[in-house]
Amino acid sequence: MNQPGQQTTNPGGGGFIPPPRQDMEYICADCGAKNEIKSREPIRCRECGHRIMYKKRTKRSA
Amino acid sequence: MPDGSQKSRRQPTFNTIQREESFKNPSKTSSTHPILNEFVTPHIESFNALFDDSGLPKGDGDGRGLLSLGLKDIGERVVFDGSGELGTESGQRGWGNRLSIWIEEVSIAPPRVPDRDTWSTERKIFPTEARERLTSYRGRMQAKVCWSINGDIHPDQFVMRDCGLVPIMVRSVRCNIRSLPSADLVRRHEEPEEFGGYFIINGNERLIRYLILPRRNHVTSLLRPSFANRGPSYTQYAVQIRCVRPDQSSVTNTLHYLSNGSAMLRFSWRKQEYVIPIMLILKALIGASDREIFDNVMMQDYENTFLTDRVELLLRSFKMYSLYTGDQCLEYLGDKFRVVLGMPEDWTNQALGAWLIQKMVLVHLESARDKFRMLVFMLRKLYSVVSSSCCADNPDSPQHQEVLLPGYLYGMIIKERLEEALNQVRNQIATDVRKEEPPVDFLDKRYIMKVINKVNWDIGSKMSNFLATGNLVSPSGLDLQQASGFTIVAEKLNWMRYISHFRCIHRGAFFAELKTTTVRKLLPEAWGFLCPVHTPDGAPCGLLNHLSRTCRIVTAPLSVAEIPALLAAHGMTQAFSSSIDGRKNLCVQLDGRVIGWARQSVAQQLATNLRIWKTEGRHKVPLDLEIGFVPESKGGQYPGLFLFSTRARMMRPVKFIANGKDDQVGSFEQVYMNIAIKPDEVEPDVSTHVEHAPTNFLSILANLTPFSDFNQSPRNIYQCQMGKQTMGTPSTALQHRTDNKLYRLQTGQTPIVRPHLYNTYAMDSFPNGTNAVVAVISYTGYDMEDAMILNKSAHERGFGYGTVYKSQIIDLKEMRGAVKSSASPTLHFGLGHDVRTAEGDGQHTCCHFLDKDGLPFIGTKLDSGDPIAAYIDETTGRTRFVKYKGDEQGIVDEVRMLGGDTGDIELQKLHITFRITRSPVIGDKFSSRHGQKGVCSQKWPTVDMPFSESGMQPDVIINPHAFPSRMTIGMLVESMAGKAGAMHGLAQDATPFQFSEEDRAIDYFGEQLLAAGYNYYGNEPMYSGITGQEFAADIYIGVVYYQRLRHMVLDKFQVRTTGPVDPVTRQPVKGRKRAGGIRFGEMERDALIAHGTSFLLQDRLMNCSDYSTAWVCRTCGSLISLGYDDISLGESSAGTMKASGPGGEYCRVCRAVAEEDDERARQALITGQNPDRSPLPGVKVAISSSNMLRRSSKGGDLDVVAVPYVFRYLCAELAAMGIAVSLEVQ
Repeated sequence: MNQPGQQTTNPGGGGFIPPPRQDMEYICADCGAKNEIKSREPIRCRECGHRIMYKKRTKRSA
Repeated sequence: MPDGSQKSRRQPTFNTIQREESFKNPSKTSSTHPILNEFVTPHIESFNALFDDSGLPKGDGDGRGLLSLGLKDIGERVVFDGSGELGTESGQRGWGNRLSIWIEEVSIAPPRVPDRDTWSTERKIFPTEARERLTSYRGRMQAKVCWSINGDIHPDQFVMRDCGLVPIMVRSVRCNIRSLPSADLVRRHEEPEEFGGYFIINGNERLIRYLILPRRNHVTSLLRPSFANRGPSYTQYAVQIRCVRPDQSSVTNTLHYLSNGSAMLRFSWRKQEYVIPIMLILKALIGASDREIFDNVMMQDYENTFLTDRVELLLRSFKMYSLYTGDQCLEYLGDKFRVVLGMPEDWTNQALGAWLIQKMVLVHLESARDKFRMLVFMLRKLYSVVSSSCCADNPDSPQHQEVLLPGYLYGMIIKERLEEALNQVRNQIATDVRKEEPPVDFLDKRYIMKVINKVNWDIGSKMSNFLATGNLVSPSGLDLQQASGFTIVAEKLNWMRYISHFRCIHRGAFFAELKTTTVRKLLPEAWGFLCPVHTPDGAPCGLLNHLSRTCRIVTAPLSVAEIPALLAAHGMTQAFSSSIDGRKNLCVQLDGRVIGWARQSVAQQLATNLRIWKTEGRHKVPLDLEIGFVPESKGGQYPGLFLFSTRARMMRPVKFIANGKDDQVGSFEQVYMNIAIKPDEVEPDVSTHVEHAPTNFLSILANLTPFSDFNQSPRNIYQCQMGKQTMGTPSTALQHRTDNKLYRLQTGQTPIVRPHLYNTYAMDSFPNGTNAVVAVISYTGYDMEDAMILNKSAHERGFGYGTVYKSQIIDLKEMRGAVKSSASPTLHFGLGHDVRTAEGDGQHTCCHFLDKDGLPFIGTKLDSGDPIAAYIDETTGRTRFVKYKGDEQGIVDEVRMLGGDTGDIELQKLHITFRITRSPVIGDKFSSRHGQKGVCSQKWPTVDMPFSESGMQPDVIINPHAFPSRMTIGMLVESMAGKAGAMHGLAQDATPFQFSEEDRAIDYFGEQLLAAGYNYYGNEPMYSGITGQEFAADIYIGVVYYQRLRHMVLDKFQVRTTGPVDPVTRQPVKGRKRAGGIRFGEMERDALIAHGTSFLLQDRLMNCSDYSTAWVCRTCGSLISLGYDDISLGESSAGTMKASGPGGEYCRVCRAVAEEDDERARQALITGQNPDRSPLPGVKVAISSSNMLRRSSKGGDLDVVAVPYVFRYLCAELAAMGIAVSLEVQ
């Protein structure tokens, strides 16, 4: 198990360049707080530590 | 009764405003509808009873929970280290040090976040998280294991052993949402009416179903011919008692009558059955002399030669054992059972015998004297059955039944698992002692702790497994008749189905296989306990019942310790009295313990007194005491006064007429009581009780059928089934549900016509259908055979509009390429470099569906095969897509990102909910609430629908032929009542049994219709929508509540032209899921043959199935002997080959024969003999020339014929078995 908060480093890697980390906003299922979670960060609410996130509704109109 | 003159404001009857208010502001102090908590009480309280802090009354006990009681029953396990010397004090036979191990206590904690998680501000886990994260709702279990050496108890000789995470029942005493008010429940993402009673296993709600068991601590006589097959001299007679220990585990003792007059006691120990002569037990219990046994069984009835003969034989037959004293009997028993029991080696045979009797014989009784008295009673009852002075009891009658409650079963399993673990510890130490490498030192604390930790104590996973599968893994079988099928999923298809799960009660899987139907019979004894209407038809009919609305199951322990003294003070003879006349006295029993004897009149008086006392709460007689007075009768049930105070009994409230108080009646006593159904049916001096309401015998669902007393009863049964298949409102917390499939009716309404209980149970929170204007008319012909015509405009206004929610789980750990058992995963959600996300022409198509985090946009419309998630494989660096697997268009409704237990895992698991719109289409199924189902056959344009004089047009047209044979008058009454209710703005009361011949429903609603300006009888002149002409007859039109059933054509249609075929037979595959065909079977074939439609036959069975062409040899008729010469190589290479066809084809068999012939001819020339010809093939099939496609023009001996491919396959298979098939080509 990874130590929380620590950045997951690629073991070996084999020349794999991770894609740019997208930071997306998600909504905590418990407290409703907006959370910016970058890819490969643990799913955990910054406010309450809850372990479920909802994806936000899209604003694009297409 | 509404009439136009009334000008004052009427009380609203639909309560819309109140309901809206309670939805907006749920109660902050209690449940909005407390009655909903009532019907899961047995589930929850039986679970609570496991714990010492259950909150249940203490009763006679010390209030300890079932787990503590179970631990007491498990006792200790003993091992010796074998270090002692022969003759020393520590053990006469060199046992050495005596180590005893026991479990002192177990605790189960509420579900909590693991300590490793240091971020969560809320340390409790709530059920919603388990549901949404698809995990189980579990709490940690710990056991305190203690040991002592040579009896010295040290306070530090214990270890707290972790027993894993045990599933916790929602809303039980260990649940974090126990007794939360509605407002807090909503905050915790639950229903405001959440009542719990289930477990959450992998995100599914599962519950342990009630199971019917024989009534505990009561002797029932059985008459089963199969008993005679148990062995020589066994007969069909037996008496049986299911004894229950304080920890709710049970042992069944059966006393078999042998044809030589004696009796054998049967019990089972670890699924193995044992029989012991009853005399052995009687003597072993109290060391009774023959005289004492004789007196006790005879009870001064010396004229009864039948009895004296039997008892004499009983006593004589035991002489051969030469056991005279109680100690000798115990010694004998202990000696025989020593190996089986596995108890400490230092116990004497006598101690073992006593232990066996204590553990296996009449375990509900503590003292040996009580057991003796009870056994004698059993013997007397047995002889009475044999002599036909009383009849055998019916084990299928609810009179002799009780309920296995979820919590008690759960406790029994935990107890057994703990016992198992303790045994393993003992065995492990015993093995170590035997091996002596290294020599075991009992005084070494670390060694013992090591052994305890080595053994598997993970009870949590075993309990999870039990709940997830319903399979009982048990060495003893827990005295149950089945080992599987204990748990079911609480499907939230709609609210009715959901609540029914908690009230259903199963007879047992064993009975489902039974050929006889006697167990399924509806018995009058079940009145008020099991609903006669609410049972499925088909295979589980009568086995899967539902509890009546007011039926309770007693879960609280009662205090009855003072009752024997109370009865003795009022004329009961004490049990120890030696001079009781068995002919005149009835036995008085309390929970299967003989507490005294009384003459019939005294017993009857006692029963009456007890009833008055218990209803008025005097003399501390509890209300839930069951007073079963069975009067003397000729050849009837064995008489006596049987009192029951134990748990798990079914009871129901009725009114006691004598003092007007509420009384609770059990299923045993009800048989001998006179309970009037309505107050005006009370017969003076006969009726003692009257029902609170005449509808109390119906289940909740059966009570919701309006005017069900007007319907033929099977129609009400159908409605109970269809109500549970309706597309309704499954939940008000839809956003937080993760069910695989949910059906939702978007336009649910409150029914205008509803029984009183509809409001009581707050069914309006979960509407289940739509009010529809229904005309009963044969119009257009599209309403034949239970089809119904839907008004197209009604459909456009949203009639029956529904939605299906489906979900898909994407777990990267289960994907191909995932690294198992690795701390850092190699698959990550997201879009890699290989996906071009920049807008423009080169943009990857997945960007229409997926966000830059690789997850779908909410609201995206998806078709089959569209990507719903993207993930990057670290090892290859490429992006892979997960596809939408549904075959209908779906809309992404919710995307849940699920973290790990401790919140330190990156995104690996997704739960996506899809919304699939299902507007009603032709072929969808609808039903009224009277078992009148039909399929929508047309959506008819409004302009062409018939209209009434006021311009009303029906939403639904049904055919009048739906009524005469089905006799659902309730639907006709509902139609009238609904019409009147709609006009006057009234919610009509449709409670059954409210009207009578004098006060008719038709008059009541006819008057209302008249007041609203309609015809008295609910029919109206109507005009054709097409011609505008008035119909010759008036049309019955009114408002009926319609349910949309979940069976929809979109889920069912199956059609194909061509498609996948079976690789072996090349015939179309079967199954809708695989786009297969529908079998055109033998009977269908017969029909086509009968019609002479041979061309169609050819088309169906050949051309559209496995049409194939094959070469057949004209000479030998073989289908499988095709060979090819490579003609491109020319004649030269073939040398002296025989002739082949234009393509080089030839028959391998015939060529071989020909070559052989040549050889043989040469041989014949040499030897001068004439050899036998080769044998001809056996099976001959003729093929007509019409099936021959191509006759090879020159040379070759082969023709091409059309045959089904399977036929070729058959020929090949037959050839493999050495059978040749020959086709005769003409």
